[in-house]
Amino acid sequence: MSADSVLDNLLTRQFDNVSKRLSGHQIHGHLPKLGTRLVLAGIGIGVTLIISVPLLLLVLEGAMAGPANIGSLIWRPLTGMLIWNTVRVTAVASAACAVVGTLSAWCVERTNVPFRRLWSVLLVLPFAVPDFVMSFGWSSVSDLVSGYWGALLIMTLGLYPLVYLTVAASLRSADSGLEEAARALGAGRIETFVRVTLRQCRAAILGGTALVALILLAEYGAFENLGYQTLTTEINTQLSVSFNVSAACVLSLLLVGIGIVILGGGAAASGQARTLTHAGPLVPHPVHRHKVGPMRWVIAAGLAALVGLALGVPVGSVIYWMFEGGYQSPGGASVVDAGWHTLLYAGAAAAVATVLAVPVAFIAVRSRARLPRVMARATYLVLSMPSRVVAVAFAYFSFTYLDGLGYQSTQLLILIYAILFFPLALVAVAASMTYVPAALEEAARSLGTPSFRSFGRITLPLLAPGMAAGFALVFIGCTTEVSATLMLAPTGVQTLATQFWAYQHNLSYGQAAPFALTMIALAAVPGFVLARYFNRLPSRATGSR
Amino acid sequence: MISGPGDLVLTNICKSYGPQPVLDGLDLRVPSGSLMAVLGVSGCGKTTLLRLVAGFERLDGGSIALGQTVLDDNRVHTPPDRRHVGYVSQDGSLFPHLDVAANVAFGLSRSERKGEKVQGLLETVGLTGFGHRYPHQLSGGQQQRVALARALAVDPQIVLLDEPFASLDPSLRARLRADVDQILRSSGATVVLVTQDLDEALSMGDRVAVVRAGAVAQVGTPRELYSSPIDPELAEFVGDANLVSGTPNGAGVDTAFGVLEIQGVNAAISGESTVLIRPEQIELLPDQDNRGVAGRVEHLEFFGFSTIARVALEDKDGLPDHLTVRTLGPSDLTVGARVRLRVRGPVHLWPNAGGSGSSR
Repeated sequence: MSADSVLDNLLTRQFDNVSKRLSGHQIHGHLPKLGTRLVLAGIGIGVTLIISVPLLLLVLEGAMAGPANIGSLIWRPLTGMLIWNTVRVTAVASAACAVVGTLSAWCVERTNVPFRRLWSVLLVLPFAVPDFVMSFGWSSVSDLVSGYWGALLIMTLGLYPLVYLTVAASLRSADSGLEEAARALGAGRIETFVRVTLRQCRAAILGGTALVALILLAEYGAFENLGYQTLTTEINTQLSVSFNVSAACVLSLLLVGIGIVILGGGAAASGQARTLTHAGPLVPHPVHRHKVGPMRWVIAAGLAALVGLALGVPVGSVIYWMFEGGYQSPGGASVVDAGWHTLLYAGAAAAVATVLAVPVAFIAVRSRARLPRVMARATYLVLSMPSRVVAVAFAYFSFTYLDGLGYQSTQLLILIYAILFFPLALVAVAASMTYVPAALEEAARSLGTPSFRSFGRITLPLLAPGMAAGFALVFIGCTTEVSATLMLAPTGVQTLATQFWAYQHNLSYGQAAPFALTMIALAAVPGFVLARYFNRLPSRATGSR
Repeated sequence: MISGPGDLVLTNICKSYGPQPVLDGLDLRVPSGSLMAVLGVSGCGKTTLLRLVAGFERLDGGSIALGQTVLDDNRVHTPPDRRHVGYVSQDGSLFPHLDVAANVAFGLSRSERKGEKVQGLLETVGLTGFGHRYPHQLSGGQQQRVALARALAVDPQIVLLDEPFASLDPSLRARLRADVDQILRSSGATVVLVTQDLDEALSMGDRVAVVRAGAVAQVGTPRELYSSPIDPELAEFVGDANLVSGTPNGAGVDTAFGVLEIQGVNAAISGESTVLIRPEQIELLPDQDNRGVAGRVEHLEFFGFSTIARVALEDKDGLPDHLTVRTLGPSDLTVGARVRLRVRGPVHLWPNAGGSGSSR
């Protein structure tokens, strides 16, 4: 038997054992009987339905255009060009995020790079920089940053942290002993990385990348700034210039279609992939990091360059404009006032989305039935809908059937935010849920705790860090939201994002800068929480490190 | 067996996952206050058995009762939190967000949580002073002790142990096993221990039930199981077994070793039979001795307290190719030495269904 087949056997057996364990008791464990299980599943399905309301509205209002109009809209050359633009930037930027995110996660988690903990925070923070601030920062540095290549650069720098977060967490929980086994069997460092490490975190890479791809589909601010036309920018034009709601809905459904392909592809590709988690008692297992010698400084320089590009350039240029742009007393809302509204809306929406994510995550992770799992996953599609079209769909629906109920009310804005960014909360809470084995709930029950109380005493406390991370992700998303906010915010109210957008649009960079800086500062706090949480994720479950 | 009021009684229980039956008409009675070891290879359904008694799974058929109270059948399903059953899983399932004291106190009422009880339990399991540690700061053996203390805290009528020592290293295992045995006995609880470790089952169980293909193949005291297994397969499962053929006559059973005394229970058997000879029943004699059967030592395994020798036989009349022999302590045997073998004490035997002498 060659060393290769020995290695393959070893891997296969390891995967088999673990997936048996996972499918047996750990992950797809046994639901608490009846009561709580039914209640949770019921709530979960209810939430799933609420999240799918925008999709329903898109279908209803898109259908009003009539088949002939839909046909001519889809088959005109412009639409073809927009689809091509959307697909290529989504595909290439997602791939770039996957590579950058995975490599940086590996460098931080599996090598002895200096200042590890610092990198683990700094590498996440670019996600807290709003995409339109990122593009504004870069394009004010150089005119070259525009169009397709500009879009690729900006979106990769802004979104790779999502892949970094999921892959780093998976690497930390994966057994580094497997890498050693591979090395002992004669595989070199690179071969080990490709054949063992990448396979170990395949599900995490695919999951993070799918998230990035869905967000890219609905990206508006950065593409608008960079003059890169996609379906989403066209949808926004249709809505704000030609007020053609039906056309916008039809184009959005194209995006949802692409989103379904992405989700389906991701699910199919990761179907066999399992993350290796620690089995047996909670005995600490040491994490082995590759000693890379002088290369550690090269790696550190590489990470520093990445952070410089993704964080340094936009923050630096905002600060530059603040001093050079001739800051005057703002004509619109003050920074404090706008900041307060951002904080209020984003905080409330993040809380709502996180709480709603718990029952859905429960179904997504624990349910043994296929349909609820698929339904829970389908909520990710919301990410691929441009926020403006969701806002308009709600407003349109409200005016047509409910006499304008809720339009430009704080409550509706918060609800729309919560729906738009619900998938981000779900990702974090579901990740946490996989680390709460059903065996713990069973242990609690056999100690005389009824199932609803064991959910409260065991499951919720263990989910709390995941919920905090979900809150942080949604909060960051809401902080940087522009297009739905412009549409639905109560009259006269400005958020940091809308005010920045307005000034930037008028080329009043100096006046826009403080809003951008406040936005980054506000989002950096949850960004920090996020990095800390994902740092601790597996240690909670396995006791390692 | 006399049926006591607190006995755990499993009657004809069935459970399948998909088309594959895991438990198929299993019957078992665990007398109140005793320790029942359930022994079986992995996948024989023993963990499912525990999960059913704990109430984590529902029966497909049959019933589970504690004394007169039915816990589970096709009409009743008592949820796990109302069964007063302590469950210790293979990995302990400690709550990672709670410290040791809070883990142990989990099942207690609010007023009891702060009291002496938790300290007392920690003392019982030998972990005084560990109350403020977190599970990941403990070794595997300590975690299992905490899991046991947690299960005992609620004064369960039944304690279920699912291979609680399997993931521990052997030296730790023996000590923890003895401690746990003592703790459980002083608690007075009825205990079901599931294991695939023969030593564990024989040393801890008041009675041992061997589960095979989803049903109990045999249940009895460890001694009964070892000396009177119901069939040759079971004999080989509970220890090393030499199987030779023999024919009972009025005085005993006639074998290649001469006429051997038959154990009391088998006295009525007649016709061609298979005879069980345990390795320690065989005595090795020097080659010069002209009694017994001649053989040559092929292989030796030294365990300190005993030596196991595999002896190839020359005269194979009704005998297998090899016999396994155990002698106490170190012996001066060498591989290749010629020896003679003799059987001591009464033997167990089974009538051959087909009549032909079977040997393995």
